[in-house]
Amino acid sequence: MLRIECPCCGPRDHDEFRYGGDASVKRPAHDDPDPEAWHRYVYIRTNPAGPHREFWQHVTGCRQWLVVERDTRNHAIAAVDFARKLRARKSTLRKSPA
Amino acid sequence: MSSNHKRLSMGGRIDREQPVEFTFDGRKLAGYRGDTLASALLANGVTLVGRSFKYHRPRGIFSAGPEEPNALVTLGSAGRREPNLPATTLELADGMVVESQNRWPSLAFDVQSVNGLLAPFLSAGFYYKTFMGPTRRAWMFYEHFIRKAAGLGRAGTDADPDRYEVRHAFADVAIVGGGPAGLSAARAAAAAGARVALIEQDFLLGGQLLAEPSDSAAASWLKQAEAELEGFETAALMKRTAAFGSYDGNVLGLVEQRDPTDPQPNGETRQTVTMLRARSIVFATGAIERPMVFSNNDRPGVMLASAARTYLNRFAVLPGKKIIVATTNDGAWRTAFDYAAAGAEVTVADLRPVPPAALAAEAAWLGVVVRAATRIVDLNGGHAVRRVTLNGPDGQSEAACDLVCVSGGWSPTVHLTSHLGSKPAYRDDIDGFVPGSFPAGRFGAGAMMGTYATGDAIEDGHRAGTEAASSCGKSASVPAPSKLDLDETATISLREIPSVGRGKAFVDFQMDVTTEDIELAHREGYESVEHLKRYTTLGMGTDQGKTSNFAALAAMATLRRATIPKTGVTTFRPPYTPVAIGALAGRATGHHFKPIRRTPMHDWHMANGAEMLEVGLWMRPYFYPQSGRDVNDAYVAEMRNVRQAAGLMDISTLGKIDVQGPDAAIFLDRIYANGFAKLPVGRARYGVMLRDDGIVFDDGTTTRLAENRFFMTTSTAKAADVLSRLEFLLDTAWPDLRVAVTSVSDEWAAMSVAGPNSRAVLSAAFPALDVSDEALPHMGLLESEWEGRALRILRLSYSGERAYEIYVGATAGEQLWSRLLEAGRAFDLKPYGVEALGALRVEKGHVAGPEIDGRTTLDDLGLGRMAGKRSGFVGDVLRRRPALQAPNRQRLVGLECIEDGKRLRGGAILFLPDEKPYGHGRGRVTSVSFSPERGHYVGLALLAGDVAAEGSEVVAVYPMKDDETVRARIVSPVFLDPQGERLHG
Amino acid sequence: MASSMSSRDFSLSVADCPLIQVEGWDGTLTQFEKSVSASLGTKLPASVGETVRHKGLLIIRVAPRRLWLALDEGTQAPALAVDPDLGCSVPLGEGRVRLKMTGPDIARLLSGCVTVDWHAPAAAPGRAVLTSFHHVSVVFLRTGETACELIVPRSFARSLSDWIADG
Repeated sequence: MLRIECPCCGPRDHDEFRYGGDASVKRPAHDDPDPEAWHRYVYIRTNPAGPHREFWQHVTGCRQWLVVERDTRNHAIAAVDFARKLRARKSTLRKSPA
Repeated sequence: MSSNHKRLSMGGRIDREQPVEFTFDGRKLAGYRGDTLASALLANGVTLVGRSFKYHRPRGIFSAGPEEPNALVTLGSAGRREPNLPATTLELADGMVVESQNRWPSLAFDVQSVNGLLAPFLSAGFYYKTFMGPTRRAWMFYEHFIRKAAGLGRAGTDADPDRYEVRHAFADVAIVGGGPAGLSAARAAAAAGARVALIEQDFLLGGQLLAEPSDSAAASWLKQAEAELEGFETAALMKRTAAFGSYDGNVLGLVEQRDPTDPQPNGETRQTVTMLRARSIVFATGAIERPMVFSNNDRPGVMLASAARTYLNRFAVLPGKKIIVATTNDGAWRTAFDYAAAGAEVTVADLRPVPPAALAAEAAWLGVVVRAATRIVDLNGGHAVRRVTLNGPDGQSEAACDLVCVSGGWSPTVHLTSHLGSKPAYRDDIDGFVPGSFPAGRFGAGAMMGTYATGDAIEDGHRAGTEAASSCGKSASVPAPSKLDLDETATISLREIPSVGRGKAFVDFQMDVTTEDIELAHREGYESVEHLKRYTTLGMGTDQGKTSNFAALAAMATLRRATIPKTGVTTFRPPYTPVAIGALAGRATGHHFKPIRRTPMHDWHMANGAEMLEVGLWMRPYFYPQSGRDVNDAYVAEMRNVRQAAGLMDISTLGKIDVQGPDAAIFLDRIYANGFAKLPVGRARYGVMLRDDGIVFDDGTTTRLAENRFFMTTSTAKAADVLSRLEFLLDTAWPDLRVAVTSVSDEWAAMSVAGPNSRAVLSAAFPALDVSDEALPHMGLLESEWEGRALRILRLSYSGERAYEIYVGATAGEQLWSRLLEAGRAFDLKPYGVEALGALRVEKGHVAGPEIDGRTTLDDLGLGRMAGKRSGFVGDVLRRRPALQAPNRQRLVGLECIEDGKRLRGGAILFLPDEKPYGHGRGRVTSVSFSPERGHYVGLALLAGDVAAEGSEVVAVYPMKDDETVRARIVSPVFLDPQGERLHG
Repeated sequence: MASSMSSRDFSLSVADCPLIQVEGWDGTLTQFEKSVSASLGTKLPASVGETVRHKGLLIIRVAPRRLWLALDEGTQAPALAVDPDLGCSVPLGEGRVRLKMTGPDIARLLSGCVTVDWHAPAAAPGRAVLTSFHHVSVVFLRTGETACELIVPRSFARSLSDWIADG
């Protein structure tokens, strides 16, 4: 079984988590009317043999959605962070002047 | 009682003060505490223990551990019967009842051993060749006979009365294997300050040290090591525990056997599976000796040399007095010496041209005959070995014997370390495979790493234990382990090339795979080891080919003229040793199979005889027997009562979510296809959520309790999914929205009062509340308190009747339920169950789970108008995809049965009247009900839009009842009160 | 609800669980915590799994922005007005049940129910572990050397306590 280290609860068995799919795809804004953008978000996946960023929710714990970087070849987990924190960090990065 | 005539009077690790009685195939035998079943059988002179899988050849005891391919037995009787257990791992206990397997009518006279005659038909690839292609149908006919002929033991059919457990455990350092390396690793890790679990499948610690004489230096070392470990409070010594799997996250699957020699209190767990989460793991799994391949090498009386030594030194059994030791290496000579010292007449046949001089000298001194460059080519014997044919520099000769000890070298036990996919790596110097690599937190030590000499293994274990402890931050300094030098000479092994005479030469004893089979596979192109395995079934027995793997690789490598590493190894997968399904399930059987959810009114339903129905994890009232004889009678009566008077339904299972925050309305506007921002405070609205791909996700009602606070309900089935989805969107997509979502499903008892009398019931039950249509209009909310708990009354209808959903704090649910029934008595208020609930909604044309099945869109369900011209909500863009707008997409219709005395059935396939009923049809019936309103069966269906004109006919074919066929007319899905007048009635 | 079973070595009792959940918005968490801390008159547990006990009130951090305020039997609910611009609160006391257990062999018994490392600092007395029991979300509270509680959803309470009692 996988053991995933929840950033606030510590290492837990994977059956405490709910899988949420690829975290590397970019979700269009809620009011984005572009079908292509939604099509890419919903259906287009790279399926890498190697590191993969994916969403997991610690559903029987703190209920936070996490981004887990898992190697699909050997299940080695390189990093786990809160999805919310990563998103906040990204948006501040975006805002900062180039 | 038998005599133990092969037992020595002294020595061994058995307790002669504690005799143990057992039966084998009905024969009463005796052994001692400390015996395994195998050692006790050998002590009694029992050499024939089982029949082989395919050819029913007589087989005996080949090994002294879990690698045993031959001596598989069935233990116990009735529900406790457990087949295919290696006699070599069964700890002998009083009253043990054991049967041999795969023989008929008896072990000694097996009718099917004539299968020698059938053998040509049972060669590798036989099934594939015979039963594929045009002859495939023949399989149906022959399967029964073949399955009966080829097989292992049979499981019992009675329920198993024993208990099994699954437990969760933790350790800093787990050590697999209690041999010299494992003991040393455990000591080092524990001394470094780590919490240690030492896992040993045997009931004694020691591993190969147990094969040493019980008064030797090795024995004292072991005694000291054990005592030292027992001194650590932080070290758990898990005996009788096999590690069967090694998993991600440094998790080990362990199965522990109850101590069978303990007096057995009722209810004690027979087997416990422990999932052990370790911060680091040391694998000290040892090595398994390889057999040698020659004609009739499978006969009883042929035994691994190390096993023979174990039986002599650990169990004080002398299974033979005239023995041949056939070897490729130094190790087996120690068996020869020990047997000679015990008084046996011993000949060593060493394949090497010049065996080491030191060994030859000791042999001479002990009177052991040595024949260099000599191998066994054939063996003669039936139920016991009689003589072998040797081939050496002087040509062939025969030698009489009663025990043949073989050693083709050693294979490190790399099964567990390979479970995570790391391929073993070949090491030329030991002519064997060791673990290719270790992920972080995993270590190997001792023989499994190719470090065979005991002294070296102890040092290696010490190193690995120290490193493993240090990798989890425990690095107190540890004194060096006490040394143990067993005076072992370097084991330089010569690869054995199989040599075959007239009889079959077995590579895989358990699966009856011979050298001929490997040659055949090679000849037919199945050269890759993975193909070889599947073509010949090599290694696919319960022993996973522990003794056969290397010999088979070597044979294939020779045939391919390739090296061993080029030939490769097959993949090892869990379980390393068989694990009973019962042990894996633990206590999760029967009523503990899954947790059960009970509503606050559960006890009332039970006390009033409700038939209950499992809906997911929930128990819900199916129908109330007071309403009718069976469910069909009852639900129609319950429906009628709702339509004519009033019904009370437990709807506590609905998912309930508290949605709060300054941005709650914006949030709901985005997740529902219909708008919520403008919903006034105190009003409820039916809402539908879509998935990102535009397919309907779930539906329910959401009520605005305050400007920033909503009360959402979801379907029973989707409650958990909806909450997770909302959290996903808030955490990943819209973290800027200040909204909190919390499940309050358990917080509220919920009940629905439906029917023309429902308002009267409410007035009577809540005399202090104004429930008039002005105070509580359709889709209105009334908040109050009842018996100190919060109370919410929503005027909502699922059935099409005037109806109210009443929510009260869960602890007062049953009390309010009873109060409503009492107040409603004058108005014919009666409870109804989920069958009636479903029927009422079908009649009203409301969609539910069978229609919202993960494939339908708003338009398919006739709900397209809900979204109207809105945009910006989840699923909006992709629901407009052209494919989802195709005119022949299946959409919701109503069906009316137009044949007297017939009924519609959910799941029936729809065809046009003139069509051959074949294939997927034009659509399917999703929900049905008898309609008291219409006087016949009605149903909802999903039907291709191009043939769904109202008024036309279709044929519903039900494949589960011999294609039962019913004619039906397409109508509006709303069978009742299309104007919605009854909502206000 | 209050019932119990006990034997020589183990006792299990079931009690109601008055409980309030408060949650602060992302971005204004510090102000939110300051205000909650002030109205409760005590510091708050700093990280998930930590608890603070104060005047019949057990405060558990169950998520980075979420606290549970569990009340001892007979304790009045604290007067807590959460500024809607900082956060919100929702009562959860009707839907949870506390299973209280004690016994010398409790760690072994619980190892068949929940995956909690009894020796880990995260499960030391006074700590809370949010985990699962038979796939149901539960909060494990380590209350003593050989004592613990499980806060479980009411609908599952009987099924889960039956499981424990059969252990």
